[in-house]
Amino acid sequence: MNHNTNLDKCVACSTCVVQCPVSEVTSKFIGPRMLGPASQRFRLLNDGEDNSLSYCTNCKNCDISCPHGVDISNINMLARAEYCREHRPSFRDWVLAHGELEAKLVRYLPTFLANMGQANPITKLLLSRLGISPKADLPKFAPKQFPAMFKAYKQPEGLTKKVVFYPGCFVKAYAPQVGMDFVWLMNKAGYYVECPDTFSCCGTPLYTNGFEEDARKNAAANLMEMAKWHNEGVPVMSLCPSCQLMFKEYPVYFPDLAETAGSTDIGDCMQFVIECIERGELDPASAAVQTPLDIIYHAPCHLRAQGIGLPGFDILRMLPGVNAVNADAGCCGISGSYGFKKEKYDIAMAVGSKLFETIKDSGIELVSTECGTCKVQIMHGTGKSVAHPLSILRQRLEGSN
Amino acid sequence: MNRKTDIVVVGSGIAGMTAALTAAQSGKKVTLLTHGVGSLAISSGSIDVLGYVNGKAVADPFAAMADLPENHPYRLVGEADVRASLDWLKELCGKAGMAMQAGEGNQQLVTVMGTLKPSWLTPLSFHAEAIEDVLRVAVVSVEDMKDVHPGLIIDQLQRYPALAKKEFVKAILPNPIQQAHRNVTPLDIARFVERPEGLQWLKDSLAPYAKLYPVLLLPPILGMKHSQKIWEQLCSALNVKIVEMVSIPPGVAGLRLREVMKKALNEAGVYLVENTEVVRSEVEQGACKALTTVATGGENRWEADSFIIATGGLLGGGIGTAPGKAWETIFGLPLDMPENTEEWSSPSIFGDSLFARMGVKVNEALKPVDAEGSVILNNVRFAGRILGGYDFATEKSGHGVALATGWHAGTLAGKE
Repeated sequence: MNHNTNLDKCVACSTCVVQCPVSEVTSKFIGPRMLGPASQRFRLLNDGEDNSLSYCTNCKNCDISCPHGVDISNINMLARAEYCREHRPSFRDWVLAHGELEAKLVRYLPTFLANMGQANPITKLLLSRLGISPKADLPKFAPKQFPAMFKAYKQPEGLTKKVVFYPGCFVKAYAPQVGMDFVWLMNKAGYYVECPDTFSCCGTPLYTNGFEEDARKNAAANLMEMAKWHNEGVPVMSLCPSCQLMFKEYPVYFPDLAETAGSTDIGDCMQFVIECIERGELDPASAAVQTPLDIIYHAPCHLRAQGIGLPGFDILRMLPGVNAVNADAGCCGISGSYGFKKEKYDIAMAVGSKLFETIKDSGIELVSTECGTCKVQIMHGTGKSVAHPLSILRQRLEGSN
Repeated sequence: MNRKTDIVVVGSGIAGMTAALTAAQSGKKVTLLTHGVGSLAISSGSIDVLGYVNGKAVADPFAAMADLPENHPYRLVGEADVRASLDWLKELCGKAGMAMQAGEGNQQLVTVMGTLKPSWLTPLSFHAEAIEDVLRVAVVSVEDMKDVHPGLIIDQLQRYPALAKKEFVKAILPNPIQQAHRNVTPLDIARFVERPEGLQWLKDSLAPYAKLYPVLLLPPILGMKHSQKIWEQLCSALNVKIVEMVSIPPGVAGLRLREVMKKALNEAGVYLVENTEVVRSEVEQGACKALTTVATGGENRWEADSFIIATGGLLGGGIGTAPGKAWETIFGLPLDMPENTEEWSSPSIFGDSLFARMGVKVNEALKPVDAEGSVILNNVRFAGRILGGYDFATEKSGHGVALATGWHAGTLAGKE
């Protein structure tokens, strides 16, 4: 283990135990304090692994709640990586971890064929045999993926300022329009957007499913690309909270790579948009659409973990006519690929139930959140439509879709 | 990123949350910066105001405040504001369906260690005076609940003269959680009881004991959000008086109270920034301009007209120490401690230790002052355990001071 958390910083106060959404709904999970700092002492003695290691969703509510700055979830993820070095993860986990590769394979297929698993009972059965819950709604591939849409899009000429956009897998394969909305907003604010092909999956699904080496390769490529732009003084940003967090954690998972790359921090698109608003480059007050709109906002755990507040929610609150309320109902439960797994599906739904209830009780029809898989889970749990804060911002500013 | 707001509060224990809420209720825009969630979630959930002064038990905390040293937070805030803060919390909790009530004087709560603990404002289900009027009491636990042993509780309780003659009986309910991969805690059972099938289980399991014993002492397992309703339902359905005992962490009642306060924060529009740590302050001409935090993507700067610091003590991170010196961590205010570290603690474990009362020296407005009493930072207030001059552990005044000083700081800042 190459991680320098001082285990004695944990005084076993159990704050993380009371805040852990998985512990709340299942006693099959030993809990963050026991799996993290407590078990780590036994790991250091090579004393075996706790058999609930796979139950941690890496949602980071333990880290958010810890009064002493122990990064419990990282202890768990490092332990999982170590465990998987000797115990090969299942084929099911390989499939869920390598979404980027699968998206690349299907990109030339017609959408109905690529999305066959959604409706086809035979595919559902196959997925179920594989260990993917037949009850889960897997995200649907977009007709055209982001890289193709972006290449075909002509940005206005004469933009002197520049930003680099790291789209992440969800935007690339499932929600390209959100990425295009960001590009539109940046152009409007006076920025030319670069989106280098060399950027690959941040590695979150790979690492958390036990494919450490694959994640390392991606991290190396991403950091090399990012360093190039940092050297030129061009800001690099992402609109996926989990991608951002993974970049931030490269130094923990791959300290050698991080050392050569310099800063691994990636900016947040929503925060950058707020800065544009503060500089007067964008003006929500002059939005073309100012009709009343109720929105219930869900804060992704991986955004809350970043310590930047909720800039996406802030943007919604700045829009004339928009009444945005914060659901403030905890984790949605999906945690990337966790909630798609057959044996975890019910846990993920139980974790999300508080959020689903809050959304349904609010009577508000439109949900907004930054995270792609939170969106999938909220749609699955509530049947409501879910939009990214930046898509809503664009719609209000532009006046048409 | 640079953000501006009216008031920035740092810390989300009971002091920080109270300060943020009261300031927001005065119409201010409030940002709450947090690093961890404070100790409220794992606490008793009852507000101890003052249990002991100089080692002597106190019957009426307000009468006893006169015996406290002049620089004690209660003396600085004043009795009227201590009472006002308690009324404020009572109203907040009452509206949320979790009524809190005080007794005539200090109440004696029963703990799962079999001790009696003085407290002031407590949820209805913790009021234990019913024991005084009866002879037979069942002490209930759940199989595999390693933190709650009725045998220990009974032995301990019978050491109190007033309880020595009572007839206590052990009652162990079957564990309703099958195939648990961990020890069962009161929190696990409380969450189970919050669900309809859990409530039914508890009702059925308690029924035989309710027929024989007029009072049942339970670990805090009566649900979460609906604890009061569950308590009322069970007491009336079983025709028995149920008393919840104060448990060790993971607390249940503390978490119930925290959820009530957190919901109120969201409704009051307080902007919550989690998982962030203040690394720097900007002070110009005796006033704080901004605080800087570290986060993903770099640093964030939070400007405000005034600041309330409720960062806790040694464990919470508000106080830093090195041999021979101690300081407040955000502004680096030195705390007045002897150079010889051995003088910080008393040789007796229950003695009067300086480290237990070290903290920031403030005036009646809770603004930091130097040795001569002159204000050092004129738009900064301190609340909760970061304050010096009291020892919450020996006084049993933790939540009381946090609530009163949080309320005082938030209300004063809200009026500016």
